[in-house]
Amino acid sequence: MVPIVGAVPELAGLGAGWRPEISGWVADRPGLGFCEVIAESLAPAVPPRGVVELRERGTAVVPHGIRLSLGGTDPLDPARVTHLAACATALQAPVVSEHIAFCGAGGLEAGHLLPVPRTRAALDVLAANVRRTQADLDVPLALEPIASFLDWPDDEFTEADFLTELVERTGALLLLDIANVYANAVNRDRDPRTALDRMPLSRIAYVHIAGGAEHVDDPGIYHDTHVDPVPEPVLTLLTELVDRIGGAPPVMLERDGRYPPAAELTAELDRIAAAAGLITTAR
Amino acid sequence: MGDPLLRRYDHDQRGAAEELAIRQAELVAALVGGAADPPGFDVERLDATRRALLRKRAGEAAKVWPMLAASFEKKWPAVFGEHRSGHPPVGALRDGWDVALALREAGRLTPDAADELAAQEADLRYDGVSAPTPRRWRRLRHTVFRRGRA
Repeated sequence: MVPIVGAVPELAGLGAGWRPEISGWVADRPGLGFCEVIAESLAPAVPPRGVVELRERGTAVVPHGIRLSLGGTDPLDPARVTHLAACATALQAPVVSEHIAFCGAGGLEAGHLLPVPRTRAALDVLAANVRRTQADLDVPLALEPIASFLDWPDDEFTEADFLTELVERTGALLLLDIANVYANAVNRDRDPRTALDRMPLSRIAYVHIAGGAEHVDDPGIYHDTHVDPVPEPVLTLLTELVDRIGGAPPVMLERDGRYPPAAELTAELDRIAAAAGLITTAR
Repeated sequence: MGDPLLRRYDHDQRGAAEELAIRQAELVAALVGGAADPPGFDVERLDATRRALLRKRAGEAAKVWPMLAASFEKKWPAVFGEHRSGHPPVGALRDGWDVALALREAGRLTPDAADELAAQEADLRYDGVSAPTPRRWRRLRHTVFRRGRA
């Protein structure tokens, strides 16, 4: 196994998604290597004080876009691209990230990230939008495959092959969400380890991990909720990833609601560190 | 440019993109707009996706309408879904506002939730179809009136 020297050297160790509701916890967590902030929630001219303080302490901050709709056939909104680039500049970010998804079509917003069909046509649209975005950025763009339990009838590629072709065509890096890999596999009765084997792991910029659960209305479907604890099998899959790439990638917890007390978040981050084989500096 | 092969490729690519645009629009309309399910998709998974999208919107609306959401406790996502299913997302403020108006009509608002709606209505003008706007005119008239008297 060839060990991966980080594709983004400024990122290392443990990270967390910075959210206003848990900004105190993020600020107090010792030894946090990096954090991520939702680009759409950020005014580049006046970033939140907590984010500025993290930057001043030397913590890398990555703007994470959620509304660019890179997989959408509606024309890319130039203002959104400019905003993402401005966020990167304001935070001196080493990398920015967005999703392989679309957010709406035909004048309707879906309200969340939707999967694109894994077809040649969708690849062309994605590659064109990714290149247009990259042209405005001074730093690398990392692409995140989403969690989805909905398959298009038109799919021509496996997710791994689709992803590999997209990163090869655009030179983009990979933001691998290990919980998404888990969710996408178990919701199709597949082994997540097999899915991992075929991903372009050498392009990883950093890794997301988040919690999820089944919902009473949808038995048999694992929802990647970001408001539940990270389940054990997702942590195990993180260890599998570390084994495959020969070391711990930069890995960060995404928590987006139903925030538990700080001690619980700390314990969860410690479990992530242990699963990744990272030594945690937290007491 | 004059290469007929290349021209055909361009045409095919454009045709494929147009086809994709139609398919994407059909899917979104079915998921949030009450349109018919597009062919070929797993019907149960479409339903589950619709519910997941509504739950996400309910969570976002709860941040803007905390009293309204809290008054229904754990039933908030269901109440939200009851009113917003088939209606495309219009942002957390308007999504919640539309639910609040329907509930007031039905006499189902708690006093706290009614106060919350009244406070929004005092600050913003909402016509039910476009983004709410600040009630500047009222403030302006107020200011001019006071200055006129001074």
